[in-house]
Amino acid sequence: MSHFKRSWPFHLMVLPALVFLVVFNYLPMAGITMAFMDYKPWLGFDGSAWIGLDHFRALFDREDSIQVIWNTLVIAVFKIAFNLIVPFTFAILLNEVRQRFLNRSIQTLVYLPHFLSWVILGGILVNFLSTDGGFVNRILGVVGIGPIFFLGDGDWFRFTVVVSEVWKEFGYSTIVFLAALANINPALYEAAEVDGASRWKQTRHITIPSLIPMAIVVGTLSLGNILNAGFDQIFNLYNSLVYEKGDIIDTFVYRTAIVEGDFGFATAVGLFKSVISMILIIVSYRLAYKLANYRVF
Amino acid sequence: MKARLYKGWMLALVIALVTVVVSACSGNDGNKEEGSASPSATSSASAAESASSESESAYKDKYDPPIEISTVWGVDPALKFKNGETIENNIATKWALDTLGIKINSLWSVTDTNNAFVTKMRLSMSSGQEMPDVVTIGDVQLAQDLIETGMFREVGSLFDQYANDKWKQAMELDPGVWNPYIRNGEKMGIPVLDYAYNHDYLLWIRQDWLDKLNLEGPKTLADLETIMDAFRNQNPDGLAPDKVVPLSIGFKTTMNSWMGDPSWVFGAFGTVPGQWNETPDGSLEWGSVNAGAKQALDTLKQWRDKGYIPAEAALWDENKTAEPAVAGTAGIIPGPYWMSGWPLVDTAKNVPTAVWKPYAIPTGPDGKAGRHGTYFTTAVTLINKDMKKPEALFTYQNYLFDHLADPAIGSEWDLGVFKGYDYDLDASGNPLYLEKIPGGDVNINRYWLVRDGARIPDAQMKSLLALADGKEPETRLEKEVKNNYGTETPAAAKVLLSQPDISFKNKFTGPATATMQSKQDYLKKIELQAFNEIIYGKKGLDEFDKFVASWNSSGGEQMTKEVNEWYATTK
Repeated sequence: MSHFKRSWPFHLMVLPALVFLVVFNYLPMAGITMAFMDYKPWLGFDGSAWIGLDHFRALFDREDSIQVIWNTLVIAVFKIAFNLIVPFTFAILLNEVRQRFLNRSIQTLVYLPHFLSWVILGGILVNFLSTDGGFVNRILGVVGIGPIFFLGDGDWFRFTVVVSEVWKEFGYSTIVFLAALANINPALYEAAEVDGASRWKQTRHITIPSLIPMAIVVGTLSLGNILNAGFDQIFNLYNSLVYEKGDIIDTFVYRTAIVEGDFGFATAVGLFKSVISMILIIVSYRLAYKLANYRVF
Repeated sequence: MKARLYKGWMLALVIALVTVVVSACSGNDGNKEEGSASPSATSSASAAESASSESESAYKDKYDPPIEISTVWGVDPALKFKNGETIENNIATKWALDTLGIKINSLWSVTDTNNAFVTKMRLSMSSGQEMPDVVTIGDVQLAQDLIETGMFREVGSLFDQYANDKWKQAMELDPGVWNPYIRNGEKMGIPVLDYAYNHDYLLWIRQDWLDKLNLEGPKTLADLETIMDAFRNQNPDGLAPDKVVPLSIGFKTTMNSWMGDPSWVFGAFGTVPGQWNETPDGSLEWGSVNAGAKQALDTLKQWRDKGYIPAEAALWDENKTAEPAVAGTAGIIPGPYWMSGWPLVDTAKNVPTAVWKPYAIPTGPDGKAGRHGTYFTTAVTLINKDMKKPEALFTYQNYLFDHLADPAIGSEWDLGVFKGYDYDLDASGNPLYLEKIPGGDVNINRYWLVRDGARIPDAQMKSLLALADGKEPETRLEKEVKNNYGTETPAAAKVLLSQPDISFKNKFTGPATATMQSKQDYLKKIELQAFNEIIYGKKGLDEFDKFVASWNSSGGEQMTKEVNEWYATTK
């Protein structure tokens, strides 16, 4: 109790944030009930009929639902993997650029695409990757590789989606690793130099091991996105030629639920995704705790 | 470790508590809604009473003392006002009060960007706010949902009783306009009529290219192929074959759209894809599974292989098909009759010698031709079941149908409606229009209670045809189309009406059936996928038969049955 007397101003300070959290994060959770209802906005929560698990059944009844979930997983896994490897490598390379101005300029340049929206980038990519006269295919033509229909061929579509996403986001993710690099104790490098370690040996034995915990954290957190393959990107790039390999859960929900106004179904799919993500986060959090001694709570 | 476990339990407890509080709150909300619902129910009962007590001669040409009609507005962001007016209070609301004794009472208005009107309407519907007496809805789904709420009344009997002959005749041009709004045999909304043929297709062809090549316009698909080949391989403007788009079409999301789609190629084989067509035996059939579609796909595949259509047509949407047409690298683009005004008017800026001319839809090997047709309606007017004097809406609309829809020469609104707004007079009494009006013109047609006031579907076409025959514009409608539309539009209208019988209308306009709700998206998906894979040569033509089989077994057959059950109720 005396403890509380001393700390009540802090509790007071945290109160607004707590109220915000409750009002905007916990109250809306009641809406989850929509997933089990034939929800009609004008009837509200009281009037809409309960239909149990029908929405979930509908999700798995569709002939293409396995395909759609598989597409989502494949695209998301590749994105998560490359969004980890590329920034990790890039941060180490950038760290070796000793000229401050050059270092900073590169950092800013690779960071910029993060701020472009996929609506704009989608339009640019369609022209850029076009088979008649697109920039990429003209370059490939010079070296004798026949035009590739990047956005019209299923496998190339996945490739394009992953590469363009990584290109757009790796600069942003690099920042985290650069911050971790700045935290490495310079004394380690000094000691290594005294011992006669080469640049490569310093990287291998000091830089990379120091970055691994951060990589595990980033990887763990991104596992929650395993069912998010990036709606706005896919939606702006996909077409009927690549449905087989490119249609993901979110685009499918957009077409069936949002366009048709079936909020109950949209909620059910959202809930399904959240449950899977939560399980994955819990599992990976346990792993991160074990492997890297990383703890949030 | 133990302390941490304890904290964890506390956290769980807190979350559980919060959840309880939350659900309790939402329960209260529900009760409140129920509580507020009852007074409105009683008021509707009293409204019914008062209506019955004065049922004799309820309809008046002018109400004295004035009565109120409440409404809500989605204001087009491009709509201009002058003299400090607003949508709530302007020359048209003043006119209604002075001439008809009707006061327009605006509950709310919203600038209609990003579908704001539909969103606001949906929100007020789901939060139980007061519904307006009269509202016009363009969004099909929202209209169906609003009817479903039961807050709006049956209107068929009112229409029969109060609408004047001119309005009734306009409505009878196509009795099918009522179909989407019929529930259990009752008409639940008044369709808002629009000008006909707005989306019916014809072909726009570069006449200057045809002339230089000494070619006639196409009568058949075979003629069309000759023309496309010449456009590509002996281009009159000297463009390299791979720079020309002989026929600019795209089908990113559908084969049946409002500009630049290939539906008329299917039409040449007796079907229109992506909609419900009436078969000779009177039942409805999904056009994409008709056997004719197979031949159309074969044709499109050959055209793609020969480079007649864009290599990436599967990625092109409507506006993308207009790009090469405007840039001057396309030879043919299919689309509606008004394209001369937009976007084709801009081609001359890039290629000064370019001339676009309208041509009729070519026929297939069996002499068939087809295109998708247009309904005469774009929106629906709903009447609140609590509205005390619903006949007042008819007082308003009857006046507009008499005076505005197709005014006779020399009548009240022949020169224009409101002086200083849509027209003005110079010193010697001659009419002035558009930017010549002091202070600029405003589109007063968007000020009316019902969007665009009153339109008779065939009126505009009739005026265009009169102009196409070389008549000088005399009536107001004729002057309007002469002044405001592209130069080739009258000729296009004539071409359009030279094939009056080839339009396939989508005959299913009812609310989505049960199977449609659960299966429609999947069926559309496998359809587009199969069609594109055939056109792109990834699968053989036999894929079409497989597609039809799996379409039927995956719910298509059931959906067709439901659609035909609905269709039987409309006859």
